[in-house]
Amino acid sequence: MDNRNLYSVTGLFDTPDEIVQAVEVVQKEGYTKYDVNTPYPVHGLDIKMKLPPSKLGYFALVLGLTGAIGALFFMWWTMSKDYPVVIGGKPFFAFPAFIPVTFEVTVLLASVGTVLTMLFLYFRFPNLSHPLHDTDYMKSVSLDKFGISIEAEDSLFDVVRVKNLFEKLGAKKISEINFDEEFDKKPKIFEPKFIVFLIFTAIVISGASYFTLNKLLYMDPFNWMMEQSRVMPQSHSKIFKDGFGMRNPVPGTVARGSMPYLFAGQPDTAGEKLVNPYFPDERTLSLGKKKFNTYCSPCHGSFAKGDARLNGQFPNPPSLHSDKVRNWHDGRIFAVITEGQNIMPSYSQQLTPDERWAVVLYVRALQRAVNAKEDDLK
Amino acid sequence: MSFDYSQELPVIEGKNTFAEITDVISKPLETRPNKKYYIALAISVSLLLFGATCLMLTFIYGTGMWGNNNPVGWAFDIVNFVFWVGIGHAGTLISAILFLFRQKWRTGIARFAEGMTIFAVMTAGLFPLIHVGRPWLDGWLFPYPNQNALWVNFTSPLLWDVFAVSTYFTVSFIFWYVGLIPDFATLRDKTVNKVKKVIYSIVSLGWRHSNRHWHHYEMVYLVLAGFATPLVLSVHTIVSFDFAVSILPGWHTTIFPPYFVAGAVFSGFAMVQNVLIFVRKIFNYEHIITLDTLEKMNKIIIVTGSMVGYAYAMEFFIAWYSGSPIEVFTFVNRAFGDYAWAYWTMVSCNVLFPQLFWIKKIRRSIPLMFTIGVLVNVGMWFERFVIIVTSLSRDYLPSSWGFYTPTVIDTGILIGSFGFFFTWILIFIKTMPVVSIAEVKSVITGGQPTHHGDAQ
Amino acid sequence: MSDTGFTLDYQKKELPVKAKYAGLAFTVLGLIIVIVSYITNPERTAYNSIIGSTFVLSIGVASLFLIALEYLAGAVWSVVFRRITEFLSAVIFIVPILALPFLLNMHSVFHWSQADVVAKDTILAGKSPYLNETFFFVRLAVIFIIWGIFYFIFIGNSKKQDITMEQSQTKRNTIFAAIFMPFFGITITIVAVDWLMSLEPHWFSTIFGVYYFSGSLMAALAATTFAVVRLADLDMFGVKIKSDHYYSLGALMFAFTNFWAYIAFSQFLLIWYANLPEETYWFINRWEGSWKFITLGLIIFRFVVPYALLLTQPSKKDPKRLKIAAIWILFSHYYDLYWLVMPNYSKSGIAFSWNELGYPILCAGIIILIFTIRAKNTNLLPIGDPRLKRSIEFHL
Repeated sequence: MDNRNLYSVTGLFDTPDEIVQAVEVVQKEGYTKYDVNTPYPVHGLDIKMKLPPSKLGYFALVLGLTGAIGALFFMWWTMSKDYPVVIGGKPFFAFPAFIPVTFEVTVLLASVGTVLTMLFLYFRFPNLSHPLHDTDYMKSVSLDKFGISIEAEDSLFDVVRVKNLFEKLGAKKISEINFDEEFDKKPKIFEPKFIVFLIFTAIVISGASYFTLNKLLYMDPFNWMMEQSRVMPQSHSKIFKDGFGMRNPVPGTVARGSMPYLFAGQPDTAGEKLVNPYFPDERTLSLGKKKFNTYCSPCHGSFAKGDARLNGQFPNPPSLHSDKVRNWHDGRIFAVITEGQNIMPSYSQQLTPDERWAVVLYVRALQRAVNAKEDDLK
Repeated sequence: MSFDYSQELPVIEGKNTFAEITDVISKPLETRPNKKYYIALAISVSLLLFGATCLMLTFIYGTGMWGNNNPVGWAFDIVNFVFWVGIGHAGTLISAILFLFRQKWRTGIARFAEGMTIFAVMTAGLFPLIHVGRPWLDGWLFPYPNQNALWVNFTSPLLWDVFAVSTYFTVSFIFWYVGLIPDFATLRDKTVNKVKKVIYSIVSLGWRHSNRHWHHYEMVYLVLAGFATPLVLSVHTIVSFDFAVSILPGWHTTIFPPYFVAGAVFSGFAMVQNVLIFVRKIFNYEHIITLDTLEKMNKIIIVTGSMVGYAYAMEFFIAWYSGSPIEVFTFVNRAFGDYAWAYWTMVSCNVLFPQLFWIKKIRRSIPLMFTIGVLVNVGMWFERFVIIVTSLSRDYLPSSWGFYTPTVIDTGILIGSFGFFFTWILIFIKTMPVVSIAEVKSVITGGQPTHHGDAQ
Repeated sequence: MSDTGFTLDYQKKELPVKAKYAGLAFTVLGLIIVIVSYITNPERTAYNSIIGSTFVLSIGVASLFLIALEYLAGAVWSVVFRRITEFLSAVIFIVPILALPFLLNMHSVFHWSQADVVAKDTILAGKSPYLNETFFFVRLAVIFIIWGIFYFIFIGNSKKQDITMEQSQTKRNTIFAAIFMPFFGITITIVAVDWLMSLEPHWFSTIFGVYYFSGSLMAALAATTFAVVRLADLDMFGVKIKSDHYYSLGALMFAFTNFWAYIAFSQFLLIWYANLPEETYWFINRWEGSWKFITLGLIIFRFVVPYALLLTQPSKKDPKRLKIAAIWILFSHYYDLYWLVMPNYSKSGIAFSWNELGYPILCAGIIILIFTIRAKNTNLLPIGDPRLKRSIEFHL
């Protein structure tokens, strides 16, 4: 008989008492590479087998502490470093309020981690195949028998001796377990098959996430609240006689903070009567620059020379460095911005009066820059 | 003498062989479902579809389809959430806490209760997700680096809920699956169907009942139970924080955490008891899920029901004792205001009816215990309704008082949640062993050695 | 005849006289300090007597609860040392005497008992239907009568069973245990509200009864554990107390350490978060000046240390470790009560001097003394209990 493919010799027993006794004897005989297979954990067997206490509790402890510290650190970083916001008058690092999440993360990491440790370290996942699988022996211990299997690798192993031992112990059934190929105990975790499986899983999961986040959540009815029973801008409405959804304010409506402009159609009077309430300081000039660049420069050019990129498409806007404009009072320029002139429209909707005055000051600064006086150089 | 205290009562009735246990538990998985099963499935799927329709209408037209309006911004959605999370708690209590207390009678019901936990938490999880009103933004509940450069608010109890419920689901699921591994292996070795064999081989992770594995397996089970126990307390505690950290009268009271946990276990046990009554009858598990087990569950229902009663009384007493007129008003309003009917439904179903279980005959009568179980769940649903709606409808400013009336859509989603839950239960009982084969074998008469090693 | 079908070869052993003398010495020493302290500073001693009497009371009544729980749950493992818990529960009768200093000085301890204060304070006036002296003493009397009745029922039946060996006593006690539970819940809450919460009569917290209960249970378990380990060391039981028994005791102490922390944290978080002035001042008082360190110490002494001591599985099985943990928990329970009571006496900072030493010594002495007196004529094992055999053979 060729024993090269022999994995182990097994014996089956009927009752828990018999298996406990059998284990005691096998242990006493000095076998070390044996295993006991029972349909459920039989009390006291691990002690009889002299198994050292499971270390998994310590894994749980370490993983739990990692979770606790990690969660606390993360919350400290997000809530008081990266984006601190005062919430409910509590300190940025509101420790009592962080305890619930810390606790949950601790439990999560410890439980998941301990189970994974058991699977990978002790059950040797993904090394799942085993010679005992699919044997009559396994079917029996799965159902109602208590089996012991002494492996051929044991230094004391001898087929006849083991069989005799089992017979002496009163085993109901003794059988040899063989395996077809070389039984591979090397970790399969780096095997191509397993890696392909991992990659496949990763692709499926990320694909599903991509579909959910980028497609599914944009399909009907997830339409970002677009469909509402409200009147959309520019749309038709049956409520009003004229059919317009957008309404003008009631005649005589005065907006909050609005000041009446008293010189409509009288730019020259405005030039005489209106006085710039601001002085050219850093704040007003930078505001004026910002607004000028936004609203004026597209036509008048960045330096008010009338040379903007729109040149030639309309009647060209004049340079603001002409003597005429330079000699205008501030109020006159203000009137132009407010009411428009020639083809230039009114900018009163875009610029508040204060901003208009700031723009005027900025234009003055530009004019001064182009036509600097001698003493400016000092 | 009706009862012999000197003998340990067997948890499983009768003399069973190990093979009989395997056979009777795996039978539903090996036989084709009968007509009754399809009728039950049809009913629960219809409820589910009704709920799904209402949910679809909510998605299309928005949460305006619900009765929620100022000042009652939380209503059926949150009531249902708290109710279903609570239902889940009994499962973890049975599987983890009773495990730590070495209560052997849990073995017959633990698997089923754990399964129920998972489905209840799934059902519960739906409600916050739809309650946000824009379900496509639910991903924002989790802290991930995003374009807005914003983080979630870790000081908000609503965020604690996200962590608590998702952790609870994950850990319950793992706990459940770890328990299933040996049973899958048993089924793998038993089945003759090739497809089933492949599936069971994969999910049993190569389990071979080795005692070198059992040794670690039992440790993991202990560790998981040790973690699941504070976890289950924390989950409903955090749900109670949703209310109790606020300053709304009727919500802000310090007894909320233990009171919510007791209430959750209370309603959960009633639900487990209700469903098990059917399961044991249909699958002939009367000797595994014994009348004694059901009686013990009923005792737990009295205990937790009394704790809830204690909390009601304490709230009332302290509301008066505090001398705060607003607190006093809130509780008087609960008992005699617009929602007095809901309040008295709650008190009678939660405090009065369970007291009938003091009588042994009622504790051991299937129809009566079923009725009381149903009433308990009605009561517990109303408890959440009373807490949420009465307090919101009457807050500090009388000018903003209001009255909440649910719409058809609200009710439809509630009904649909039951359909969702029971559909999962029905699928579960036909695809997986609803009783733990390995654990039951370990507690039957003759299952353990007579003189086992002294654990020193 | 014995219908338990089990006879135990039990020989009653007397406790060493050393224990009795130690108890007596502690009692006398404590009593002297208390009396001197009372003469020099009655108000301060009154506050201390609240700490001392609630400490002894919590051990006594929580022991009664543990006995009832054992019957109700049908617990087997704890039957071996139920007698220990029974002896400990006898201490409730001494509580009214320990409480005399504050009962005689109601006005200086409880503001609500001062008529002129109540007249000016509408909130206290509103509470006066409950918080008034007559009703206070009525409640106190009723509570102690209830506990006394249940004490005599439980202990009487248990002792009778030693002779009759009948199961009917177990059955009777189980029924009374069920009746006791609601009474227990109500009475311990009333004690917590009356003796501890009403020291700060404006303050209120619905969880307070549960808080006192959680600490009491920890203390009663610790006292039982300490006595069991000590007596097993002296081989008083005549049977072996196995590591599985110790494990169960350790696990329960561990569980209730966590439970106490849970309740204490819930109470704190809800009040801290909502930030309502009528509630927060109670915690602010305990954060003022040097009280801050006592508060921080509470977290460490009452939660962190017992938690670390009892966390691992081997430590729960180790009698030596359990003994240390038990003494520590008893100390931390006293510390907790000190934290609850003393900030009302001295608002600005810690008050600690020789006045505070009298009651701890007296409490320790009187508990040991009562224990030895009760143990003198009673079997240390409930030899008639039908569950005893299973309890001795108990394994996890």
